[in-house]
Amino acid sequence: MGLLSLLRKLAVHTTAGTGIAQYRILLLGLDNAGKTTLLKILANETDDHMKTSPTRGFNVKTVQTDSGFRLNVWDVGGQRNIRPYWTNYLENADALIYVIDSADKKRLNESGEILFDLLEDEKMAGVPLIVFGNKQDLADAASTADIARSLNLHTVRDRAWQIQGCSAATGEGVQEGVEWVLKAIRKK
Amino acid sequence: MSLVRVGILVEVLFGYMQATRSLPDVEHEARVPKNVLQCRAVSREINFSSVEPMEKFRIEQKVLFKGRCIEEWFFEFGFVIPNSTNTWQNLIEAAPESEMMQASILNGNIVIETKFFDDDFLVSTSK
Repeated sequence: MGLLSLLRKLAVHTTAGTGIAQYRILLLGLDNAGKTTLLKILANETDDHMKTSPTRGFNVKTVQTDSGFRLNVWDVGGQRNIRPYWTNYLENADALIYVIDSADKKRLNESGEILFDLLEDEKMAGVPLIVFGNKQDLADAASTADIARSLNLHTVRDRAWQIQGCSAATGEGVQEGVEWVLKAIRKK
Repeated sequence: MSLVRVGILVEVLFGYMQATRSLPDVEHEARVPKNVLQCRAVSREINFSSVEPMEKFRIEQKVLFKGRCIEEWFFEFGFVIPNSTNTWQNLIEAAPESEMMQASILNGNIVIETKFFDDDFLVSTSK
C-alpha cells in the first residue's frame, strides 16, 4: 500500500535511460487534519501511525524506485502560526494534496478559504489538486459531496482537481487518491 | 558491481545508524544485522531542529568505504522555519540481492559523513 509499491504497480519509470525523474508533492491543510498520519501511511509505517504530535516544521519523505523515479512529499505543519511560512514551500510543486478533517465541520469554511488563498498564489498556477476528505471513519464526518459544496470546489477551473474521501486511520481511500496524483503529475 | 548498487546497499546501513548518530562531531559505531541486507526497501531518517530560520538549508551525505567516497547524496530543503523541528525520511527500493555487496566486505569499513549547510555556510558535521 505504500508509495513504493504504488510506483512499482504503475510501472512508473524514467523514459530516457539514466536520469532521475524527481517530483515534489505538497501535503497541506489545517492543523489536526491528519497530514502527518497520511504521510506515515504512505511510507508504510502502520505500527505507530496513530501517535503523531503537531508538526512544528516539516516532514519530508523521499521515495525512490530502482527505476529512477523519485518523489519528495512535503508535509508542512498546519497550525495558524506556521501557515504564513507555507509560501516558502510552494515553488516547483507538481501536485497539491489538501487534507481536510471531515469531522471538523466548524472549520470547513476556514479550510476552504485557506485552500483558495493557496490556489491564487502564482507559484501554484496549474498545479493539480486533490482534496482528501480525511477521517471518513468517524460517525460525524461530512461526505465528500458536502465538503465539495462547502469549499465551492466546482469553481476551480484552472487545473485538474479531484476530491477523495479517505481515512488515514484505516488506510481506506488513500491508495485511490495517490494513484490519481501520480497519474496527474505524469500528464503535466 | 556498479557504485550505484553499492550505494543502495549502504542505504541499509543508514536506517540502522540513525539511533546512534544524534551526537555531532563524534564517530559512531553502528552494528547492522546481516539479514537486514535482504530487505526489499530500505529507509533512513534524519531529524533536526533549528531556533534560527534558514533560507537555503541542504545536506550532503558521503558514504566512505575504507576512507574512499563511494556514494554521495544531496538534498535541498530550502527554507527552515524558526523554532522548528523537521524530519526527512528517505525510502529506497533495494537492488536485487545478487547485485549487493557482501556483508563481510562492508563489515567495519563504512563511515557515513553528513554535512548540514545553510547555502554555503557549514552548520554542522556528523559522522
